[in-house]
Amino acid sequence: MTANRHGSSLFDGVDRWTVLLYLLIVAAGWLSITAASFDESAASIFSFSHFYMKQIVWIGVAWIFALFVLLLDVRFYHMFAYPAYLAGIVLLVAALLFGREVNGAKAWFEFGSFRVQPVEFAKIATALAIARLMSEYSFSITRLGDLVRIGLLICIPLGIIVLQNDTGSGIVLGSFLFVLYREGLNKWLCIPILLVVALFIASFLLSPMTLLVSLILICTGSEIAISGAVRSRIVFLAAVFLAAILLTLLLALPTHGAVDLYHALLAVSVAAAAGAGIYAYRNRLSESMIAIGIFLGSLVFLPTTDYLFESVLQPHQRERILSFLGIVNDPSGADFNVNQAKIAIGSGGLFGKGFLQGTQIKYGFVPERHTDFIFCTVGEEWGFVGTMTILVLLCLLILRLMRMGERQEEPFGRIYCYCVASILLFHVLVNIGMTVGLVPVMGIPLPFMSYGGSSLIAFTILLFIAIRLDASTRQFSFNKYRH
Amino acid sequence: MIDREEGYRRMKTLQIVVFVIFGLLMGRVAYIQLIDTRYKELARSNVMRREVQYPPRGEVFDRRGAYLAQSRECYDLMVVYREMDKRGFDTARLCNITGITPRRLRQKLADARVSPRAPVLVANYIPKEDKLRFDAGGFRGFYAVYRTVRHYPLSVGGNLLGYVGEVSASYLKNNPAYRAGDYVGVGGVESAYEPLLRGRKGVKILERDTHGAIKGSYMDGLYDTLPEPGRHLVSTIDARLQLLGEELMRGKVGAAVAIEPATGEILMMVSSPTYDPDDLVGRERGNNYMKLLHNKRNPMFNRAVKGKYPPGSTFKLVQGLIGLQEGVLRTTDLHPCHEGYSVGRLHVGCHSHPSPLDLSYAISTSCNAYFCYVFRDILENSKYGGVKNGYDVWRDYVLSFGFGRRLGSDFLDEGSGYVPDRELYDKRYRGSWNSLTVLSLSIGQGELGCTPLQMANLAAIIANRGYYYIPHIVKQIEGCDSLDARFYEKHYTKVDPKHFEPIVEGMWRGVHVDGTSRAARLDGYDVCGKTGTAQNPRGRDHSTFLSFAPKDHPRIAISVYVENGGFGASAALPIASLLEELYLTDTIRRPELVERIRNMQIYYPAYDR
Repeated sequence: MTANRHGSSLFDGVDRWTVLLYLLIVAAGWLSITAASFDESAASIFSFSHFYMKQIVWIGVAWIFALFVLLLDVRFYHMFAYPAYLAGIVLLVAALLFGREVNGAKAWFEFGSFRVQPVEFAKIATALAIARLMSEYSFSITRLGDLVRIGLLICIPLGIIVLQNDTGSGIVLGSFLFVLYREGLNKWLCIPILLVVALFIASFLLSPMTLLVSLILICTGSEIAISGAVRSRIVFLAAVFLAAILLTLLLALPTHGAVDLYHALLAVSVAAAAGAGIYAYRNRLSESMIAIGIFLGSLVFLPTTDYLFESVLQPHQRERILSFLGIVNDPSGADFNVNQAKIAIGSGGLFGKGFLQGTQIKYGFVPERHTDFIFCTVGEEWGFVGTMTILVLLCLLILRLMRMGERQEEPFGRIYCYCVASILLFHVLVNIGMTVGLVPVMGIPLPFMSYGGSSLIAFTILLFIAIRLDASTRQFSFNKYRH
Repeated sequence: MIDREEGYRRMKTLQIVVFVIFGLLMGRVAYIQLIDTRYKELARSNVMRREVQYPPRGEVFDRRGAYLAQSRECYDLMVVYREMDKRGFDTARLCNITGITPRRLRQKLADARVSPRAPVLVANYIPKEDKLRFDAGGFRGFYAVYRTVRHYPLSVGGNLLGYVGEVSASYLKNNPAYRAGDYVGVGGVESAYEPLLRGRKGVKILERDTHGAIKGSYMDGLYDTLPEPGRHLVSTIDARLQLLGEELMRGKVGAAVAIEPATGEILMMVSSPTYDPDDLVGRERGNNYMKLLHNKRNPMFNRAVKGKYPPGSTFKLVQGLIGLQEGVLRTTDLHPCHEGYSVGRLHVGCHSHPSPLDLSYAISTSCNAYFCYVFRDILENSKYGGVKNGYDVWRDYVLSFGFGRRLGSDFLDEGSGYVPDRELYDKRYRGSWNSLTVLSLSIGQGELGCTPLQMANLAAIIANRGYYYIPHIVKQIEGCDSLDARFYEKHYTKVDPKHFEPIVEGMWRGVHVDGTSRAARLDGYDVCGKTGTAQNPRGRDHSTFLSFAPKDHPRIAISVYVENGGFGASAALPIASLLEELYLTDTIRRPELVERIRNMQIYYPAYDR
């Protein structure tokens, strides 16, 4: 049992760089939480009523979870991916029905003073399920049926999370596009998806006509890119526009102007898309069908943006988005938090004000300074040197995860590692982006750094599963070489 | 499934995506932290509250140490809107304590709302007792700032001392060192010595948290500065003299100035009507100011340094001195006077007195004809080749006595008076004029305009027999060894000191022997004086009196000018005499005269229309 002697050791094959990066980031996070919540006037600095003392406990608990994750057999994750996913969905629905509302999001379970957000664990379950589904031998991302399956797998929890009013966390699941791309999703489908998201944001700024025309052009453009048939599609486009103009001219007079160019174009393009859809279905042009699907879906989606905007988003979220888009500008309102965050970071300068010396943090000018805005503490107290260090550490961790994914022999491990990388990347982009005013404010934590047990434990498990999968590959290969 | 190669390429693309995202974040962070310096400033303004520490204003004493201007502790009530209690507070109580109306409070809070972080003045001049009650009230967002308010305990010297008020917008524009709400001296001593009296503001930098609660001093007070109190001044004014002067001048329009000849120190300066400087300080300032502004006698006009009066007969002293210096007049020269001076149709009248008469009697009895001769002799002096050249020479003499120009006293708004120049007559008479045309100048009439300060200075010049020190109002400045150098310089006139004695003799004779000034006699003192009765287009003659005493080693030179007071001897002389009596003997032995003058009311049709 040489394999046992060498391979059964708990840390054998564990990627030491990843663990080191993890430990450094957690340590930096704890220091920042200390700075953000330190109270000179408190009776005892070691009291467990302080955030930084509580976080010590959470770090300990997270490590126990990490050990547990490393102890389990790789096959366990493979086997339990779907049950975990189902459990995750059940938990999300349960939270939606029976959960407790915090900051407008009905996304929490409460056990005494301890609160858990099931969405954190749903992310892990979804990542496992995606890895499981996509690693199936028969799975092909170019096939429409499989694409729909993977789309549903992502969209079901996403929908529930959005219903919980936790839009930020929901959008995190959208980051799996990153994984889909790596696994062969046609890039001409990635681009229209991104463009449609951009259009959704732009719909507040653009007129319906401009929106419609750009939508037609985006979808036709991506379809041309997939099929490579330029001439026929341009003829198709020209026909659509001509038909719209003719229709307007014909109907404008008898209907006393009720039919204008916009409505004519809308009608013609829907009809044309439906016809093209039937044509594509008959000729098994699955990717063309997706382009048409995106077009029709967006047509349903875009007119409802106003409705979505008014009903799905919370007033503060609406304000934040509008303020981010520059539609309203109110320094003391929605902009206030971001402004204060920027002031805290900006005032740090090159070397920062030093540990526990940040006035903006200490005197409470930055909201949520120990949770979502923890990066401000880094920026103010450790300056540019500190922010760069954190960003470099996070960047290295994500690149390391991608590298770990690439060296997996099983697609399951690779896909899972990419899932982790994409979740982390999205969290970092949105969290740090919002503190520096690049991204609208969405309440999602900075991985491993923000205060909170549920988030720290979930991210640790998420990461250590990837480490565990990677370790088994390496163990296996070590053992292979040894024999 | 995609092949390995495609997978590798896609991995590279995704790496680029990761690098782009981190590059964006790093670039943005670098911009915020290293390039955009705005945020440091904003962070400071978030945390720091600068509290200006106002210094107490320097106090002003009279030459004997009595308070002329005092600084009293008072407070300004400020509010920072953002830091106010959002749940509201007891407005009625605050109004009650600070003595402002609820309407004004509402208005101030509306103002404060416009700039919610800036401290806004709610009420000023809050006395110490009220401030203590306010402190006990615990009104969040409100705080009291130490200031000093001026108090003038003797209520004298309205135009002399000036007053202290809030800086005006136009003043702020020209003086960047001041901030809105600062106090500044206006007029008189307060404005002349403003930089010294003001002191220097200090600043206390405090740290506050997001709720506005003060957390302590910034950097342990490293950048705090202490206010530097204003310097105290000892003024040259004799408060008793000033008090009596103002009392005697009450009900009359005019000015009285007394100077110590040996130093040029102004002992008293009354501009009448005057006002109580306390009226222009504090909350009632606005109303009182408007009242003074609408007073037709114009109490805020400092007649003592800005008024322009014909000197009348007192100017004969200058005429005589110039004649002596020019050699066209000898003390023994006799000129006839037959109730005046007549050339052709021109007639300058005079009262009846013995004729012919010599210089000293001409001065003592104030003969008009005599000085017509003297003036014409000066102008028609053949060595200058023409009246116009002679006039230039005469004018230079007059200017050397301090007329027609600013003396350079420490009053910033000192007037220059007026001595017409040759060009004026050339223009008016198209070049053809002679000594007869300007003959009225010989007896201090015509275009001549003198400030009461210049007339008092003339008295000092004669008392000193030929020189003067620039009259000044400040004797000593705390922390300074000396005053401005210009106040220590002897200014000689163009007339040799030896020529002064006969003039002094004439002035002495006018008081003690047979002149117009006999009522100015003081037992035990050799008083010298010269009356003046100036014709003017605004009604009765102006009454003026110019005097110094004692004759040898004079201690006080004085000029009193009472508009429409009639003969020099009827209004101006008794006032000057009483002032001399008080200054020289420290007592008043003629209370009935004080009573008479005090009750003397003069009718001013020109003002009171």
